[in-house]
Amino acid sequence: MSAFERLPWRRMILVALSVFIATFVIYGSWKTLTLPDGKAYSGAAWRDFVILGIAQGAILALIALGYTLVYGILRMINFAHGEVFMVGAFGSYFFADAYVKSGFMNRHPIAALGILFLTAIITSVGVGILLERVAYRPLRNSPRLVPLITAIGASLFLQNAVRGFFGTNTRGYPKPDILTGSWTIFGLEIARIQVVVFVVSVVAMVALQLFVSRTTTGKSMRAVAEDPEIASLMGIDVDRIVVMTFAIGGVLAGVAGVLFALTFEQVNFFMGFRPGIAAFTAAVLGGIGSIGGAALGGFALGLLQSLGPALLLTGIGVPSPFQLKDVVTFAVLVLVLIFRPGGLLGSGESEKV
Amino acid sequence: MPFNRLVRTGLVGGIGVLFVALVGLMAKVADINLIGTQVTGAYTLLALVPFTVGYVAVRPRVVAGQIESFSTARSVRSGAVAGATAGALIAIAVLFTDRYGVDRVREVFIQVDPDLIELLSFGQSATVGAVILIVGGGALGAAGAGFRSLNPSQRRNLGMAVSVTLLMGLLQRIIPIMLVQLGLETDWLYSKVTGGLTWIGAAIVFAATWGASWFWARRGRTAKETIRTMTREQPGTRLVAGVALLALLAAVPWLVGSVISDVLGTVMVFMLLGLGLNIVVGYAGLLDLGYVAFFGFGAYATALLTGATLNTTTGSAAPALSLDLNFYIAIPIVVLLAAGVGVLIGGPVLRLRGDYLAIVTLGLGEIASILLASNWLTPLVGGPQGMRNVTDASIAGFSFRDPQHFFYLALAFVLMAVFLSWRLANSRIGRAWNAMREDEQVADAMGISTTRFKLLAFAMGGAVGSLGGALLAVKIGSLAPSSFEIIVSITALAVVILGGMGSIPGVVVGGLVLIGLPGLLREFEEFRLLIYGGALVSIMVLRPQGLVPNIRRSRELHEEDRSQDKWAGDLSADEQVAAPLTPLGEGSG
Repeated sequence: MSAFERLPWRRMILVALSVFIATFVIYGSWKTLTLPDGKAYSGAAWRDFVILGIAQGAILALIALGYTLVYGILRMINFAHGEVFMVGAFGSYFFADAYVKSGFMNRHPIAALGILFLTAIITSVGVGILLERVAYRPLRNSPRLVPLITAIGASLFLQNAVRGFFGTNTRGYPKPDILTGSWTIFGLEIARIQVVVFVVSVVAMVALQLFVSRTTTGKSMRAVAEDPEIASLMGIDVDRIVVMTFAIGGVLAGVAGVLFALTFEQVNFFMGFRPGIAAFTAAVLGGIGSIGGAALGGFALGLLQSLGPALLLTGIGVPSPFQLKDVVTFAVLVLVLIFRPGGLLGSGESEKV
Repeated sequence: MPFNRLVRTGLVGGIGVLFVALVGLMAKVADINLIGTQVTGAYTLLALVPFTVGYVAVRPRVVAGQIESFSTARSVRSGAVAGATAGALIAIAVLFTDRYGVDRVREVFIQVDPDLIELLSFGQSATVGAVILIVGGGALGAAGAGFRSLNPSQRRNLGMAVSVTLLMGLLQRIIPIMLVQLGLETDWLYSKVTGGLTWIGAAIVFAATWGASWFWARRGRTAKETIRTMTREQPGTRLVAGVALLALLAAVPWLVGSVISDVLGTVMVFMLLGLGLNIVVGYAGLLDLGYVAFFGFGAYATALLTGATLNTTTGSAAPALSLDLNFYIAIPIVVLLAAGVGVLIGGPVLRLRGDYLAIVTLGLGEIASILLASNWLTPLVGGPQGMRNVTDASIAGFSFRDPQHFFYLALAFVLMAVFLSWRLANSRIGRAWNAMREDEQVADAMGISTTRFKLLAFAMGGAVGSLGGALLAVKIGSLAPSSFEIIVSITALAVVILGGMGSIPGVVVGGLVLIGLPGLLREFEEFRLLIYGGALVSIMVLRPQGLVPNIRRSRELHEEDRSQDKWAGDLSADEQVAAPLTPLGEGSG
């Protein structure tokens, strides 16, 4: 509190900012919702926004878990995690491409998808572990900004390595025929791919939660997150746990990579950057370091991204509001960190030093 | 030497070569003739790796408190093993590609083509090529290990001579131009046919560098001392030196010609960015990843204040809001506004911890670049199409759009920023920043208003960064949102990090190396970002204080090392002199 007493103007700025944002949100939504018929979004359009938001949120949540796990253990932002996700998608692309050409994809779609997930996971885990070994482990005890700078460098490096290896073109990612079309669930017509995305993500999240809470390795991970030094005195191999953490993050990123590629039906070397930051935002939104928080934050951000531009910007006459989708992401990031650095599930207090 | 370690080092080297080949860099440098037609870029790269592997594999290590020492013969054998391993890995890859089919490999790795395979098997069949790779790798590894066992002065002389010769070969499109401008003959040095050095030229460069290095080692210290006492005792000398340096700088554009001047102009724009970011990151210790916002602000604000037209799909239009000021009246306004934006951005986020601050600024920078490219702001800044016809910054008819003229404008700005940074570093403000960076809470307890000084850093950094943007606007006269993306922030960061955080000469070196070299060596242009990424990682891991360190910053980053026993510290210091880019201090851990 002392900081606030010394700087009353800071509190004033924050209050002014929140009043402005609240006014903007209310005014924007009101304008959008009262648009004359013909210009307004139909009920079906809103329903699609929500479904899309949940599906994207599920992918974001999977990536966000990677950020949260590493942050929980090492207190560092693994900025290159978005690239781990990207290489996963790329790793599976070559198999997907080959399977479509050979017809395997549609003859045995389940087996093919299984192999796609497996190859993506292997690639992502490999890159994740390599990243830890080369770029982060030598800097474990450096000032906090040093590994962050390395992470940015690693991110740029991985992006451009993939660009060099596989070219700058965006490649079409094929999907099996059984995933086209839609299913009717509870009277709602939902694209099959979105159902698959949701189910696979939730299964992965539950599996992770069980792993962390039930297994010995999970217990060790929690111990290291609590206090690495004490954990190592208790006979836990901290290095092994850190590698394990990166590996688990890689598994989730690989799964997310395939889901993302199947949803948008394309891969390119730059695909990891924005989703990576968005997922980090999701992790922060939910409360970084907490698994439930990352999941919650992912879904929340997914919905904000798909509903926000339409709801807030259409009414006030901003042309092509979906160009500004990522502005919503970053604005959420900035606002959460300013107003509630601990995230939705956190304590609300900014961590000191 | 444990066999495992040798093999591991060799494999790392081999993977490095394969990486360079797969990413396409190998094919790019294959046609550069460095010396004659025999020493090409690709073969130099190919030879340097096993050599380095051999050199690194036999580095002295501390075992049980003592340096392992081996006979020369044994370490040469070890080097050969490591080098041959590297060669063998490449050989396996070549053989595999040859058997499996180049086209099938190419479906995944698009850079693999018959030319690359021919290059890596030396124009022979794949099997013969593989044998050459293994045997040659072994020989070069042995040479690398042998190089390690030379005494330090021989090692330095030889290393200098080889690297300067290769560098001269690499700069084949720059040095001849300069020589011609000076009215000198270049045929003896550079061949018109191959482009690279002639063998005779190479021999002369090699011998001259060797001699200079030898002389410097014997007399350099005394010479340096003489110069130092001279400048200290006679203040006039310093003035003369300063004037001479300025005169030299003023001659640069005419010495290097238009093309290189253009590259140098870009270098100086990024130097301004680096100097500005250096204030924020290097002095105040705040990692700002949204620095591009200031760059963009400076550029677009200058364009709007001095007058420009929007590009539209149908032609051109006037911006929704613009003035018609003179560039030199607009500049102070832009700078003040940018400082204000710095305070506005900084205000709400300054209480965040370092890495959160970095991410928030990244978010703000991204918001800025998305908005610049959005349809929403098109009436003001042109949206995706951008702007053109930015008013020239001419003085009395002397236009600065010509690259050779622009150099002077940029130089003036850079010198101002250098002066500002230099005075700031040693001022009360600079000391407050130091204290804040080293320990914020202690600084706070000492009565330094950290919020005020953080805001000041943001404002100063923003102001200098906006100057860079303003320069860019008048340099090219048109603006596109694609020049104001996140990559600018990262490039500026790389410029600061490479030279060393908090170091002004570091920014200059960083700008010349990271912006200048890729600009001049077109072959590397498309690998620019890859190199930046690699540079950020390797500098942080191997030499966090940067190439031209600021002494105080470097001590902060090495606090751990200092607390170790002195003897291990000496070892890594010795390594540092000999080979700045080999992994340091593995033995001191």
